[in-house]
Amino acid sequence: MSERPVVRHSTTWKPETIEDIQAKADLGRYRIRGFSALRDRPLPSFDDLTFVPCTLSRIPLEGYREKCSTRTVLGTRFAKKPIEIDIPIMVTGMSYGALSYNAKVALAKAAARAGTSTTTGDGGMLAAEREHSDILIYEVLPSRYGINVHHLRQANAIELTVGQGAKPGTGGLLLESKVSDEIAELRDLPPGVDQRSPCRHPDWFGPDDMLTKIEELREATDWQVPIFVKMGASRVYDDVKLAAKAGADVVVVDGMEGGTGASPDILLDHTGIPTLAAVSEARVALEECGLYGTVQLIIAGGIHSGTAAAKALALGADAVYMGTAALIALNCNKPLYVDDYQAIGAEPYACHHCHTGRCPVGITTQDPELMKRLDIDAGAERVGNFFNAATLEIQMLARSCGKSDVHALEPEDLRALTLESSMIAGIPLVGTNVVFGGGPGWKPSSER
Amino acid sequence: MKDIDCTGKTSRAINQEIRHHIQAGETELRVQHPQARHNLGVAILQPVSLTMSGSVGYYCGGLIDGPRIEVQGSCGWGLAESMLNGVVIVNQNAGNSVAASIRGGTVVVRGSASSRAGIAMKGGTLIVQGNSGYMTGFMMQKGAIIVCGDTAEALGDSMYEGRIFVGGRIADLGNDAVMAEVTDQDQEFLATTLAQYDIAAPASFQKVVSGRRLWQFDKKDFDTWREAL
Repeated sequence: MSERPVVRHSTTWKPETIEDIQAKADLGRYRIRGFSALRDRPLPSFDDLTFVPCTLSRIPLEGYREKCSTRTVLGTRFAKKPIEIDIPIMVTGMSYGALSYNAKVALAKAAARAGTSTTTGDGGMLAAEREHSDILIYEVLPSRYGINVHHLRQANAIELTVGQGAKPGTGGLLLESKVSDEIAELRDLPPGVDQRSPCRHPDWFGPDDMLTKIEELREATDWQVPIFVKMGASRVYDDVKLAAKAGADVVVVDGMEGGTGASPDILLDHTGIPTLAAVSEARVALEECGLYGTVQLIIAGGIHSGTAAAKALALGADAVYMGTAALIALNCNKPLYVDDYQAIGAEPYACHHCHTGRCPVGITTQDPELMKRLDIDAGAERVGNFFNAATLEIQMLARSCGKSDVHALEPEDLRALTLESSMIAGIPLVGTNVVFGGGPGWKPSSER
Repeated sequence: MKDIDCTGKTSRAINQEIRHHIQAGETELRVQHPQARHNLGVAILQPVSLTMSGSVGYYCGGLIDGPRIEVQGSCGWGLAESMLNGVVIVNQNAGNSVAASIRGGTVVVRGSASSRAGIAMKGGTLIVQGNSGYMTGFMMQKGAIIVCGDTAEALGDSMYEGRIFVGGRIADLGNDAVMAEVTDQDQEFLATTLAQYDIAAPASFQKVVSGRRLWQFDKKDFDTWREAL
């Protein structure tokens, strides 16, 4: 009887690497896909931190009884009408085009139901989105697709977008299958093109120009509404300072776990810095400017739960954006219509095929038949429920740490489970009182 | 004609004064001594006439829908950016990105325009009586650009659609910009449009449009994509 041969896989030429080369050998270009980072090596994340609730040295609040406020106010620096939301979770900008009509309206209704905001995206404002949302943030993006002063003036806040976490330093993509006649008309594009959004704004480049652009947006809205500046997490420490000094009311930092409807996959996996590092750098940047608490901080990128949101708040965020998590609550990646997942080369729980426009659950598609699979009201209820659940999780953690307001969560409520998260977040490693660090987010214990 | 003197005032105060007078029913306003202040006449949504008696800074007439604005001097970056409708005329030169992303209306530069004139235009018309700079019409989507003089390098780079007419010399074309025949319909459009602003038409025009090779990814056209991506 012959011995069974030992199968040895190279760690350099892994099956995924071989498949990637052969796919590019066929395509003749980089690969494009949606969703989020799919790296083999896990990123440092909020999961690398743990809360240290009250025992004897701190006194907890009654978990199911005593009040714990979740009210969140954003844009208090210059705007006459800051945004007031009931929870510190908001819906991030995702375009009508990347998402279906049903998905956009469901998110607007869900946000209104949960007492929070939704955001337009790289394709202008959908009238139904404005109609069904209580608080709508209008994005002004480099592409300026659908830019309309009347829509801008209907918004509760303006978000000047410099970049996004999924692909900082580059523009958006919307492939031909999603550039329907309607989407093309809204964006002033020829139907069926591969739309490549610009990465730079057409009329300003750097922070000095941005200061003037922010003033223009304030003039256009009579200084009534907050101006957010959103960036992909890259050189966060410097970029947040520049945005704050340019006059932003709110800075949004989107980590590399952030999702997208379509991107070169190398950008998803190999550009930007993780959300954990982004919030740590952003907080220190604002503190060093003397603007922490004056300029509010929103953190985005892979925030998937109340626990991740609570840790972001403890590290210095005023609120978090959720995008992919909200879509998953709408049924993204749910094992429905399994044959249709397989037809596009995907499987439930492992679908990142938003770029194809053939979303089996009707979220990232412009196909009217697929879109019907997403019931707007049922979807809005699921997302609303998920936001409620995440809010309860944040409150639960805050109460256990003795906080009657989720915004009172602080770095001292956390410990690091790994050396690298200790170094990144400036949090003591469990079992020690030592902060292992040295980067912008780090301070020696004597200064904490 | 209502006069507004900018002396000693911020852009904020000047814009508030402009809006106050418009709301009071004034239809003709003259802004004196603008002294290159930024963001003057932003987001005006009424069909009023506004004269800037001097040079203005960035984003004059940005985000407007309907007014007629005349700048009796030069302007900084982003004149009339994102305009939906209206007419904006600058009597001297324009800084970068004049008429950026406009969706309608007409912008007239009686002098020369700097880089990226008409960038990302989504409609409307940009007329440059003099020369225009690098990357004029970059990523243009719709509308028309008329340059009576010369254009610098990379004209019409990565344009999706739209028409660019050049009366002088074209330094070179950008990615996927190609020459096209000037049709009778184009000639009529040029004559009518220029006459409207008392601009003498050059002897002839060249026309540049999208080659449409960047509309879809094509692995067989690697040389184009290497330049464009």
